[in-house]
Amino acid sequence: MTTASALLAPAGPGRRPRWLRRRVAMPGLGLTLGVTLTWLGLLVLLPIAAVVVRSLGLGPAHFAAVAFSPRALAAYRLSFGAALAAAAINGIFGLLIVWVLVRYRFPGKRLASALVDLPFALPTAVAGIALTAIYANTGIVGAPLASIGLRLAYNPSGVVLALVFIGLPFVVRTVEPVLADLGQDIEEAAATLGASRLAVFRRVLLPEIMPALLTGFALAFARGVGEYGSVIFIAGNMPYKSEIAPLLIVTQLEQFDYEGATAIAAVMLVVSFAMLAVINLIQARERRWRDGA
Amino acid sequence: MARRRMKAAVTESRAVRCALILIALAWLALVILLPLLAVFSQALARGSRAFWAAIVEPDALAAIRLTLVTAIIVVPLNGVFGMCAAWAIAKHDFRGRDLLTTLIDLPFSVSPVVAGLMFVLLFGANGWFGPWLIAHGIRIMFAVPAIVIATAFVTFPYVARELIPLMSAQGKAEEEAALTLGAGFFQTFWHVTLPNIRWGLLYGILLTNARAMGEFGAVSVVSGHIRGLTDTMPLHVEVLYNEYNFVGAFAVASLLAALALVTLAAKALLEWRHRDSIAATGH
Amino acid sequence: MTITIDNLVKTFGTSSALNGVSLEIPDRSFVALLGPSGSGKTTLLRIIAGLETADSGHVLFGGEDVTNRPVQRRNIGFVFQHYALFRHMTVAQNIAFGLTVMKRRDRPSKDAIAARVDELLALVRLPGLGGRFPSQLSGGQRQRVALARALAREPAILLLDEPFGALDTKVRRELRGALREIHDRVGLTSIFVTHDREEAFALADTVAILSAGKIEQFAAPREIERAPASEFVRDFVI
Repeated sequence: MTTASALLAPAGPGRRPRWLRRRVAMPGLGLTLGVTLTWLGLLVLLPIAAVVVRSLGLGPAHFAAVAFSPRALAAYRLSFGAALAAAAINGIFGLLIVWVLVRYRFPGKRLASALVDLPFALPTAVAGIALTAIYANTGIVGAPLASIGLRLAYNPSGVVLALVFIGLPFVVRTVEPVLADLGQDIEEAAATLGASRLAVFRRVLLPEIMPALLTGFALAFARGVGEYGSVIFIAGNMPYKSEIAPLLIVTQLEQFDYEGATAIAAVMLVVSFAMLAVINLIQARERRWRDGA
Repeated sequence: MARRRMKAAVTESRAVRCALILIALAWLALVILLPLLAVFSQALARGSRAFWAAIVEPDALAAIRLTLVTAIIVVPLNGVFGMCAAWAIAKHDFRGRDLLTTLIDLPFSVSPVVAGLMFVLLFGANGWFGPWLIAHGIRIMFAVPAIVIATAFVTFPYVARELIPLMSAQGKAEEEAALTLGAGFFQTFWHVTLPNIRWGLLYGILLTNARAMGEFGAVSVVSGHIRGLTDTMPLHVEVLYNEYNFVGAFAVASLLAALALVTLAAKALLEWRHRDSIAATGH
Repeated sequence: MTITIDNLVKTFGTSSALNGVSLEIPDRSFVALLGPSGSGKTTLLRIIAGLETADSGHVLFGGEDVTNRPVQRRNIGFVFQHYALFRHMTVAQNIAFGLTVMKRRDRPSKDAIAARVDELLALVRLPGLGGRFPSQLSGGQRQRVALARALAREPAILLLDEPFGALDTKVRRELRGALREIHDRVGLTSIFVTHDREEAFALADTVAILSAGKIEQFAAPREIERAPASEFVRDFVI
């Protein structure tokens, strides 16, 4: 049977090729999936392909030379190091804030909870100039700190500070529902078994919320590595010292060094995707563990 | 009362509780509240007249206009996309569904600067489509289209991320009931699905809008910083700040901060009034 | 309307739900699909409705092949297990839904729709409750609304998926009688899915007993009790 006659054949269920048969009753899959894939393909996948193809086109030797130049390495070290430090700080203080928000009652709790979300909604550039205004050596908090020799702005600690601001809600909002769902009964059970409060926390609660805490940590880290707007105002932006990787990309673009910018962007993309894979892995393991339990 | 006392049996001592609350609140004040207050106090540092002058200045008005235009184009596009993606993923079963869900999240993990660079590689003078665009006299790079596209990339997942868990949790039964009663796709979506997701949709759109108006890194790379033409509000803030015009920078920034506060207030209101009909997402 | 089911096969992934099922259901009969969970009875009902598509085999309504006809055009009424009432619509709007989504030229006038809703509310013994929302109704009332909604477009076939599954025993008994009465009065061909032997035998003219995607026996309740066709049927019903 030729293709044309196959298409013209009567539409009996036996005759129709499998993929043409209506598989599900729920309508709209073709339309909605078509729109989704088109928009995803044009807006996300095509641009990512451009970076990948362009950096592959550089050749391995040249790519390594521009992607891992001393200046680029210094920028990665700062970006990853600061993001790691900020995520760690957020892990500790985020957990504390979640604990207080979920377990205790106090005046102004609702407001405090709403404040946590501010970094999601506040434009990063606004956050950047606001943090600088406060923590620079002339700022309301920065000045007293500077007088005791603690300078938070215009050096790597400024980068960490900005990333702490940006990352806090990721930790809080990831851990919060898990802690809220955790019944009081397991704590009570542990208490009846003679465990001290600290032992209950360390041996019973922490293991339960660890996957969520790790996810929040990874989300904050991933966001921090790529962050630009809130950092550049407070960082000082000295090459080799306080220049983050995204800023290096911008600088190289301004100097029309497209190859250097593309290579660094490719490295950052690889790291982002690795982080995404790690986060998915944590969540998948967590889900499997819960379903199994 | 008895209940609360029972609860207290397995909680911390009063002193520990107070200390923990104080540390948490102090941290929130230092990291989040102070910067927020700083925006408004700096904006009004030279009085309300200077504040107003900075906002009605022509370049600032042009930036506000460009930001609004960008949001008006981007938010509906990503809203429609988000609804389509959520319908396909939540109401259907097909091979590669999990992969698609992951791909939709990609823009979350791409640095905004890298996102901007991608579009330079596509539409810039040396980009894939650059020469063709130049030959046909179409301006995308360093013009409004590039700003819109970069903003669309950055805000791509928000509506979908909000709707997918919500629509999955609601199941398919109501839609199937509508089908057995003779309704087609658009009727089912309009009369049955949409009323069930409207608060979640509104929340997703608010987030998309806040992000669209506030995007800095990606737009910064593709805009070209032409004052009065391709500077959005966040870019205008940067320009003023770098010119040491702090009142001007913080005045425009305060508008963006007010938008953020309105978004958060709306979110709090939605969570309070319609807790069941919005999905808790971490973004 | 007679329903002919001809050798339906359906697999989900690697597990098979229906394994070559054939049935001949006469006009105006009241049939129960009875079987343990996982026997394929709900899948069969959903394929008859057009909510699922079989891998092979045919479904005929009144001798006409409807295998490829979409659910919207099969003119069936379907009562879902948990009723699937539209939460944001009133009872009246729920019942009217099937009429309001008709094409403009087929759609009855507003007044006619309102009259039909009242008529259906009276039929299911819920007069005057049209303005309530589903959340304000008891379980039994919701079930009645779901039934009225399914009947609004005057289907010839009524399909019910565990219609009494979510109700307590007393309400269940009451509604059983009401359903049987409506079936007889309207002149429907009805099929309902249940895992409750007593319910199937009390209500249906004919019972199809399913196991592992196959029909074990299709006969009147008395006949099944007198002569169970297999070991499985004997264990399951007696």
